[in-house]
Amino acid sequence: MNDPYQVLGVSESATDEEIKKAYRDLARKYHPDNYHDNPLADLAQERMKEINAAYEQITKERSGGGGRPGGGYGYGYGGGQQYRQSGSSTSSVLQQARMAVNSGDLSRAEALLANYSDHNAEWNFLKGVICYRRGWMDEAKRYYETACQMDPGNPEYRQARNFMAGGPRGAYRPGGGPFGTEVCPGSLCLELCCIYTFCSGGGYFCCC
Amino acid sequence: MYGYVRPPLGALPEEETERFRRVYCGLCHTLGRRYGTAARFILNYDFTFLAVLLSEPTEGNCCKSRCLVSPVRRRCFQSSNNALELAADESVILAYWQLRDGAADHDWLHGLKYRGVSRVLEPAYRKAASLRPGFDERTRRQLELLGRLETEQCSSIDRAADAFAALLKAAAQEVEGPIRRRVLEQLLYHLGRWVYLVDAADDLKKDAVSGNYNPVALRFGLEDGVWTAEARREFAATLDHSIHMMATAFELWDFGVWTPVLESTLYTGLFQVGKAVLDGTFQAVRRGRIRKNHKNEEETT
Repeated sequence: MNDPYQVLGVSESATDEEIKKAYRDLARKYHPDNYHDNPLADLAQERMKEINAAYEQITKERSGGGGRPGGGYGYGYGGGQQYRQSGSSTSSVLQQARMAVNSGDLSRAEALLANYSDHNAEWNFLKGVICYRRGWMDEAKRYYETACQMDPGNPEYRQARNFMAGGPRGAYRPGGGPFGTEVCPGSLCLELCCIYTFCSGGGYFCCC
Repeated sequence: MYGYVRPPLGALPEEETERFRRVYCGLCHTLGRRYGTAARFILNYDFTFLAVLLSEPTEGNCCKSRCLVSPVRRRCFQSSNNALELAADESVILAYWQLRDGAADHDWLHGLKYRGVSRVLEPAYRKAASLRPGFDERTRRQLELLGRLETEQCSSIDRAADAFAALLKAAAQEVEGPIRRRVLEQLLYHLGRWVYLVDAADDLKKDAVSGNYNPVALRFGLEDGVWTAEARREFAATLDHSIHMMATAFELWDFGVWTPVLESTLYTGLFQVGKAVLDGTFQAVRRGRIRKNHKNEEETT
């Protein structure tokens, strides 16, 4: 395994508090919530495992090999990414489509949905998930909205719709500031412009 | 690619802005050496950002030389490497096809400048296309698809943006290492989506006057290219989802010395540019007007 201090990005002389802080920051960054329905979630999961193992190893070493005093969050990907494979599913085709989505086989999921004529709430929700994973964010939002209208009481659909409509406000951002085009502080500053070149910004002749 | 992707240079330490500038200058020199002086004029921040993404985690060697912009003082720049060459080749192909697209979009008279410049760039393009046939093929196909969507007046912003996003994603197809390629493909897909949508938003007013295809105007039913509060909120949210996807991909690969500049671009620069475009101030900032006004204000106070 890699050096646990390196994994957490701290020096061996770091205090327990510093290590905890580094761990928490990384755990927030690679948290399953930050990678929900993300096509790269499997890579984030690997990273999370590595971080948890590194933190565990350091705390173990520092406490003289016994237990995990002041342990971390123990964040994990305990199946949180998986969609329920039974319960709300009303048909075996939709169940299969869910399974295909879970295994990352979007083409199969799409083909199953294309051949399913009852465009009910769950069908719309699953279409939304596929769109989201493909990066078709606007269409995803519309499908989630339709799913919510058809079945307003379903918390899974509602959560997905609210997340799409509000933007990823709670997403990880270094230093913890707000995440969003309309909420990010600071204004545009183009100091590198032109001094170094004749053309800036798409081949226009320069300005200053 | 239109120069929308830029790091918040004012907020970065000088060491980082200089590093970014060395890539900018390095790409310019690489373009010049491989394709002649004319090709250097296609250089912009977006292509520089692409070069940074494709770079190895360490900076590599630097050279010093004078150039047209710095004719007296010799300036440091990144010497050519695989990443700069790949970025240069892909930039030439993208710029050429965009010019051709511009020529097709306009009538004979207004298409003159596009045809003129693409004529100048043609030898460079032919060389780049023979070096990267896969990317050339992909670019041509995606832009044809985009042309068809324009003819259909497609009102799905996702479909329209997908054509350009898939094109940019293809810029990573020659990258080695399966994980690195996956990360870059996801990042570039959403970068392409974001650039396409921001560009469409930036052109809202112009397209409303000229009647040119604008998927954002069609999707939100905007009149005269003016945002409604609701549409603007929805559009900003969809941009933010793409930035989130870029950021989460970025965090899964070690970009080494490029981490600060990439991080600040993704978590700050894109938000600032997006907001300026939505406010309708981006064009003015780009041409330096706001900066000059700002300077005047400072001088008078």
